Amino acid sequence: MINRNIILLLCNVVLHGVYVQSFAAANIIDPDLNFKNVEKHIDLQSQLTKITTRLILENGSKDRHISNFLFSLEPEQKNSLSYIAAYREPVRVELKLTEVKVNVYPDETFYEIELKDPLSPGRTMSVEIEWILTHELIPHPKEITQKEKQLVKYIGNIYLYAPYTITKQTTTVSLPSRNIETYTKFKPVSQSDSFITYGPYEKLPPFSYEELNIHFENNNKFLTVTRLERNIEISHWGNIAVEEHIDLLHTGALLKGSFSRYEFAREPKSWEASIQSFDTILPAAASDIYYRDEIGNISTSHTRIKKDSVELNLRPRFPLFGGWKTKYIVGYNVPSYEYLFHSGDLYTLEMRLLDHVFDDMVVDELVVKIILPEGSKNIELSLPYSATRLPDSLHYTYLDTTGRPVISVTKKNLIENHIQNFKLKYTFPRILMLQEPLLVAAALYLLFLLVITYVRLDFSIDKDEVSESKLRIAGQCEKILAAQDRRVTSYNELDDQLAYLKANKDANTFLSVVKGINQEYKSTTNSITEIAQRLKGESGDVYDRIQELQKYDRTLKELYNQQQALYVDKLVPGKIGRQQFVEAEAAITKKKEECVEKINSIIKSLQ
Amino acid sequence: MAVLMKTRGLRMSAQKQETLLKLTVLSLAAILSFATRLFSVLRFESVIHEFDPYFNYRTTKYLAENGFYSFHNWFDDRVWYPLGRIIGGTIYPGLMITSAALYRLSWLLNITLDIRTICVFLAPLFSSLTTIITYLLTKELKDSASGLFAAAMIAIVPGYISRSVAGSYDNEGIAIFCMLFTYYMWIKAVKTGAICWATCAALAYFYMVSSWGGYVFLINLIPLHVLTLMVTGRFSHRIYIAYSILYCLGTILSMQISFVGFQPVQSSEHMLALGVFGLCQIHALVDYLRSKMSQDDFEILFRGLVISIVTISFVLGVILTITGKISPWTGRFYSLLDPSYAKNHIPIIASVSEHQPTSWSSFYFDLQILVFLFPSGLYFCFSKLTDSNIFLILYGVTSLYFAGVMVRLMLVLAPVMCILGGIGASSLLVTYMKQVERGKVTDKKAKKFESNYILRSEIATLFITVMCILFFSYTIHCTWVTAEAYSSPSIVLSARSPDGSRMIFDDFREAYYWLRMNTPENAKVMSWWDYGYQITAMANRTILVDNNTWNNTHISRVGQAMASSEEKAYEIMRELDVNYVLVIFGGLTGYSSDDINKFLWMVRIGGSTEKGKSITEWDYYNSAGEFRVDKEGSPILLNCLMYKMCYYRFGQVYTEGGKPSGYDRVRNMEIGNKDFELDMLEEAYTTEHWLVRIYKVKDLRNRGI
Repeated sequence: MINRNIILLLCNVVLHGVYVQSFAAANIIDPDLNFKNVEKHIDLQSQLTKITTRLILENGSKDRHISNFLFSLEPEQKNSLSYIAAYREPVRVELKLTEVKVNVYPDETFYEIELKDPLSPGRTMSVEIEWILTHELIPHPKEITQKEKQLVKYIGNIYLYAPYTITKQTTTVSLPSRNIETYTKFKPVSQSDSFITYGPYEKLPPFSYEELNIHFENNNKFLTVTRLERNIEISHWGNIAVEEHIDLLHTGALLKGSFSRYEFAREPKSWEASIQSFDTILPAAASDIYYRDEIGNISTSHTRIKKDSVELNLRPRFPLFGGWKTKYIVGYNVPSYEYLFHSGDLYTLEMRLLDHVFDDMVVDELVVKIILPEGSKNIELSLPYSATRLPDSLHYTYLDTTGRPVISVTKKNLIENHIQNFKLKYTFPRILMLQEPLLVAAALYLLFLLVITYVRLDFSIDKDEVSESKLRIAGQCEKILAAQDRRVTSYNELDDQLAYLKANKDANTFLSVVKGINQEYKSTTNSITEIAQRLKGESGDVYDRIQELQKYDRTLKELYNQQQALYVDKLVPGKIGRQQFVEAEAAITKKKEECVEKINSIIKSLQ
Repeated sequence: MAVLMKTRGLRMSAQKQETLLKLTVLSLAAILSFATRLFSVLRFESVIHEFDPYFNYRTTKYLAENGFYSFHNWFDDRVWYPLGRIIGGTIYPGLMITSAALYRLSWLLNITLDIRTICVFLAPLFSSLTTIITYLLTKELKDSASGLFAAAMIAIVPGYISRSVAGSYDNEGIAIFCMLFTYYMWIKAVKTGAICWATCAALAYFYMVSSWGGYVFLINLIPLHVLTLMVTGRFSHRIYIAYSILYCLGTILSMQISFVGFQPVQSSEHMLALGVFGLCQIHALVDYLRSKMSQDDFEILFRGLVISIVTISFVLGVILTITGKISPWTGRFYSLLDPSYAKNHIPIIASVSEHQPTSWSSFYFDLQILVFLFPSGLYFCFSKLTDSNIFLILYGVTSLYFAGVMVRLMLVLAPVMCILGGIGASSLLVTYMKQVERGKVTDKKAKKFESNYILRSEIATLFITVMCILFFSYTIHCTWVTAEAYSSPSIVLSARSPDGSRMIFDDFREAYYWLRMNTPENAKVMSWWDYGYQITAMANRTILVDNNTWNNTHISRVGQAMASSEEKAYEIMRELDVNYVLVIFGGLTGYSSDDINKFLWMVRIGGSTEKGKSITEWDYYNSAGEFRVDKEGSPILLNCLMYKMCYYRFGQVYTEGGKPSGYDRVRNMEIGNKDFELDMLEEAYTTEHWLVRIYKVKDLRNRGI
């Protein structure tokens, strides 16, 4: 390490010597800028390494305003870096941070931080930079038994690895417990409780490095989501279905030897290093939550509904010890009005790209698939941070014809700070909403049509005379019954007219109306006779019955005629006494009733 | 005043009304038969049940993913390690092909059903179809009223539900449909003598053969029917055509199933069919000759023919049996004819609970009032004998016998019980219904014949009321049985906790999922064969023996390992490359079908082969002849591998208040050997309720230590 520092120092000397003139160009380390005070805080309480550094920038130049500065990380942190952000203090304002390269140090990664307001000469400014690293804490020993505590090792830099000179620096490390095996005794250093404080150190050259090595107890969850596949399926009928396929791995110290259920149940010490359950926070509107895996439902989960979220307590099928894996699926529905906005045919979806799985989580690989409704076009995706967009594909499910567009995005190494919204804009002609109901209707229509046609068609090769003649007779009977119905209507009308005549005694109007009724009656009676003739050859029995029907009908008609004559010739002119009329009418009515009964019984037999 | 009747409006002819009524009743029955099988899905989840269904599910998944040809040629190296198993050639593929076809079809229509969903709901779907086919069959045999009765009864009969609830994805689920379908086609063929129906019957038979080993029953029943018709002098050209075509086509088709192969012409189980086929030809020839020859000539010829044919066929049969061309009768079939056969000869068959003889109570439990309606149905069949009725009688009587021999065959009995029960109930009701009506109409006349007619109507009404009550009790009984007895998936157990809430023991899946996630991909797991199918399907690990039980020596080897002491077992396990050992232990929760209770079968099967000669059942009983796990148990038992794996560290656990530590709640005794350590194994995982315990076999020790 000392060697390394010397080389870096040499580098700096060379740099200052050669490039001192070209400071005005972009991405050049400004020699006038220095860090007046640095407070570095390393938080090792969880499985993550959270480093927060508070800087006081000083513009040492005479007349130049400084509008941005560079920041760098140790080369070995490049791969484990998950998240980095910068803020201006004391009023917290996020500053823009971009990754840049500097020609002089091709191997180093630099971040250019833009100050919102340029720093005037001689002035200072306070900036906070926060970065989070994953998989930096290495379990040591690598394997422990069920009862043992988990010890981890952290290797880092006491100094700040910055491209500028640092006037003064202090470094604090916070640990989850006071059980510390060893730590680098680089003076001045002090330990109190679960904190280790290094420094203050003064006048540090750029890129200074001093190894920090801590070996301590950490029984927190060392749980990694090795792969998270998040599927978001949008329905314009008001629902968004979210499903997450999660692969978990316990990345703490591996379990050595056997697992004893007896001890696990009896001694709390023996399950400290294992993970039995964790909480996942879902959106407040989440409903129909399910928790399952390849072989079925996992029955051990609880939901707690809170004001602004639904907390899901998930318990894997088995407790996870070091090196043990599991896989599961969580899914839920949310109403679309909370996430999907539209004006006309233009839609905007605003949802989280990554959602919470458990506190201080690490997601090694994230794949998000957004399934849009069939017929969506002009898709525009804007992401909160850079991620790889995978080629679009199509997804087919219920009632689809052309397929639903699927937008896929992937990113590696994420943490809780990546829970941010993406925006997806697309157009969807709203008329297409009708496509699916129409499709179902058309399919049902076709089905019924097919059945109707099939029932009506005869596919047999030989002729079945008996059943065919039966069918023909049935058809003719149907016709006769229809004619009979018409006749019944005529009689009813006649009844009405007679009643009217009885009250009004207006014979002329009556006669003119009855004429029409009688005509109708005659034509139907004729048609019945005609049909009956046709039936004669088919079935003598039915023919006879119809003849009988006709006979009774004639009698009935005759009775009506009598009644009519009674009314027109006797009642209207007043040629008949009241008593006589009532008697005559009663006689006719009685005969009529008998006749009607007979007709009805014949009709019944014909049905 | 009487009004002239109008016929328009909602008017339907009697025929149409009948059709509508029939359709309504039938579709309601079909829907009911689907719905009543969903108890387990609603109570638990949509999950595959039991053991065999897991194998079927796994193979179906393979078929759906890889297509038919790779399925047909599938050599599975995950089972029967190190032997492997040719899956394509050792199963009846009908079930898998059916669901894979449904799966493909639904995906073609963009109905994205999961293959598991199709597997879970296939059995209820096919029982709906069975309901319809039962109606059709009964209609052919008797009339449509009986058909409706039979359909309504089979929709909820527990004897059939036991094998066809949602999730019970087994061959029987579709086989009953296939069987009844074949019968329907056969009856049609017998009635019409048409080649078309006979061919359809052969195709239906092919489907049946492809889906269940129980087709042997069918291919013996139909020839028996033909034989009976011959004996009773009812043989005709119709039957000649129907049987000849069914036999020829059916045999050729059935030989296309690679698992069946040449059995239809070689094994003795199929010889009745062949014999009857020959007899058919002779009968037809004799009939022909008789019509052409004089009486005397014919008699001489007839005698000569009979004697020579009997001698030749006897000699041929003996020769073929001796040379092994005709395979000897398989054990499972012997045990059908002689219930005690399996118990004495083949422990592996006897060890399965569903191969035990049926008890009287289970007849009532599974069939309820059908037990009483069955004889009345038989009576009505006898009272009006026809060709097809004879078939029904034969089917009823033979299946009753077989169901008495083996619990499992209750399944074959249930449909015929429903058909005969339906015929009985409908005939009785038709008779009495008329009496009720006449009672009303003939009220005036009744005064003249007071002596008989008043009571008649009342008795009829009473009888119908009693029948209605019986039907109600049938419905309630069936629903209760379905809900209580046949709807637990057995992969998830549930129990009532002391405070009345429902507790779920999901230990099996916990263990299988642990194996799937946290053991090497190629790890070999040793367990008793019952759990083989579940381990391959859910844990996706290689196993030594499974429910296929095709290799007795291999199973016996596992039994020997379980029954030996740790050192000896270690040798066997090294020999078989075992990495993990899985045992089921119910001592903590009181789950009684665990490995200790099955242990005597392991000993018997383990001792049944040459290599396991040293293991004798009597060593595992104590001096008083009892099988005990407490201090009085036999020391060999207390030190064998199975005992050690089940009770490892159990001696320290307190299971029940007031009882000493290590109290086994299944055997209700304190275990005899408490403090021991395992040398060759280490506990790898034990589930929450100790139901499944998994041990890792340690590697050989380094030299010199």
